[in-house]
Amino acid sequence: MTALAEVAEIAARTLAISLAATALALAVGCPIGLALARGRFRGRTPLLAFVHAGMGMPPIVVGLVFWLLLTRSGPLGALGLVYTPYAMVIAQLAIAVPLVIGFTAASVQALPPLLPDLLTSLGARRWRSLWLLVREARLGILAAVMAGFGAVVSEVGAAMTVGGNLRGSTRVLTTAIVTATGRGEMGQAALLGAVLLALAFLVTLLLTLMQQRPR
Amino acid sequence: MHVSLSGLRIDRGGRRILDIATLDFPPGTVTAVFGPNGSGKTTLLRALAGLERSDGAVTIGGRPVSRGDRRVAIAFQEPVFVRGTVRANLALGLELRGVPARESDTRLASVAAACGIAGLLERSPRELSTGEAQRVNLARALALAAPVTLLDEPLSGFDRIGRSRMLEEVPALLAAHAATAVVVTHDREEAFRLARRLVLLIDGRVAAAGDAAVIYRAPPDAESARLLGYTVVPAAGRLVGFPPGALRHGQGPAQFELTVTREVDMGNHRHLVGVTDAEAGAIVAEIRLAEGEPAAAPGTRITVHPSRWVDFPVPGSRS
Repeated sequence: MTALAEVAEIAARTLAISLAATALALAVGCPIGLALARGRFRGRTPLLAFVHAGMGMPPIVVGLVFWLLLTRSGPLGALGLVYTPYAMVIAQLAIAVPLVIGFTAASVQALPPLLPDLLTSLGARRWRSLWLLVREARLGILAAVMAGFGAVVSEVGAAMTVGGNLRGSTRVLTTAIVTATGRGEMGQAALLGAVLLALAFLVTLLLTLMQQRPR
Repeated sequence: MHVSLSGLRIDRGGRRILDIATLDFPPGTVTAVFGPNGSGKTTLLRALAGLERSDGAVTIGGRPVSRGDRRVAIAFQEPVFVRGTVRANLALGLELRGVPARESDTRLASVAAACGIAGLLERSPRELSTGEAQRVNLARALALAAPVTLLDEPLSGFDRIGRSRMLEEVPALLAAHAATAVVVTHDREEAFRLARRLVLLIDGRVAAAGDAAVIYRAPPDAESARLLGYTVVPAAGRLVGFPPGALRHGQGPAQFELTVTREVDMGNHRHLVGVTDAEAGAIVAEIRLAEGEPAAAPGTRITVHPSRWVDFPVPGSRS
């Protein structure tokens, strides 16, 4: 495999893993964010504080926790996920979820307080009302997606720990940069770095275009 | 549809903000809920829309009202809009209630014309002035043509000319679909021009309910009278309430002393403004001067009497 072909393969894998983790984080985090923003239940504020703390969780710690869970002798070892892309998606999901929850909750809370009552009074049933609220909070929720994707595509600690940086299987752009740098292959590291930046920029550009769509 | 409530009690922050034993809104009538700020008017309206958790029961046509009840349309005092154009905002409620697109377009056009917003339909609500937003807010509720229509301070953002027009248009639009309507207002003229029935709400309790003119002519207590624009002053050991324009120079059965503070030229007539000494502090009263009637100099004490008045017991005394 040529060096360029390998870079392309690593880039494609990076994109697939990070997009999968971000999409899952959105699917899990958006409803939780909505519930935290709209719900009035005991323990809501400590739960929000917990989520906010999670927004700055070090990826290496996340990786370590998931490695301990997924390693062959760990409680979930029987699943055989450690050192697979699935393990990387799971660890990255854990990194992105607090970001999506936190941003979603904040953007829904920033909506006019009367909006839920307005939608209900106009005739929106529960799910339609929630969907309309999400649509109104679109700016913040897409910011959540961008923050989540940015965090997972650029992290190296979790990917390295649970993925193992296996060539042709779990190597992603960040772990490949670490390897190239370790070997003193600075040209290769720079190329991988440029590809990573371009990838992050392109995905963010796409999300920004969606976010800033008029009306 | 007949709207009825009984045993309605709503507490917030440890304070009872609404306590109403029974209240009825007969089918097809327009009722103005009138009261000072913080008297529970908006909470009552929200309870009628099923948006408040409460003890007691609110029924529409004999069936309990539910949260998001589609028999009800409500225009909140604060205009809130969703993304999209004014047209999309007006159409949203119709779409959510399953009104066919063609009928929705027809209704939307007629309500927009009546509320003077036909030229705003393609604009974003963010581009609207306060008055325009208020009109769109009102139009959105009226477009639903619901059997029960609730309006919270519907004309607060209108200018004088627009308001005058809407005071004619709103009753006509409500009558067009025989709506039972409840209009919350703190403006007496608005209450009387929009509605024949009146509910006076003071501190979360119904002080009076019934025909607006009857209540105006005989307010049940001094506080209700003040709310309706009466001046209430102590005179000869009792409380005398009189409506605007009823005060005259000279002696009469309910006379009292007034110290003139100034003369005000209102353009088409003149007022004498004065204060009367009262235990609860000075009360300002106005006398409309007749054409050519000489004004009294500031500081002069004059005797005045109302041509029309209502007696109220002095608080704390045995009646």
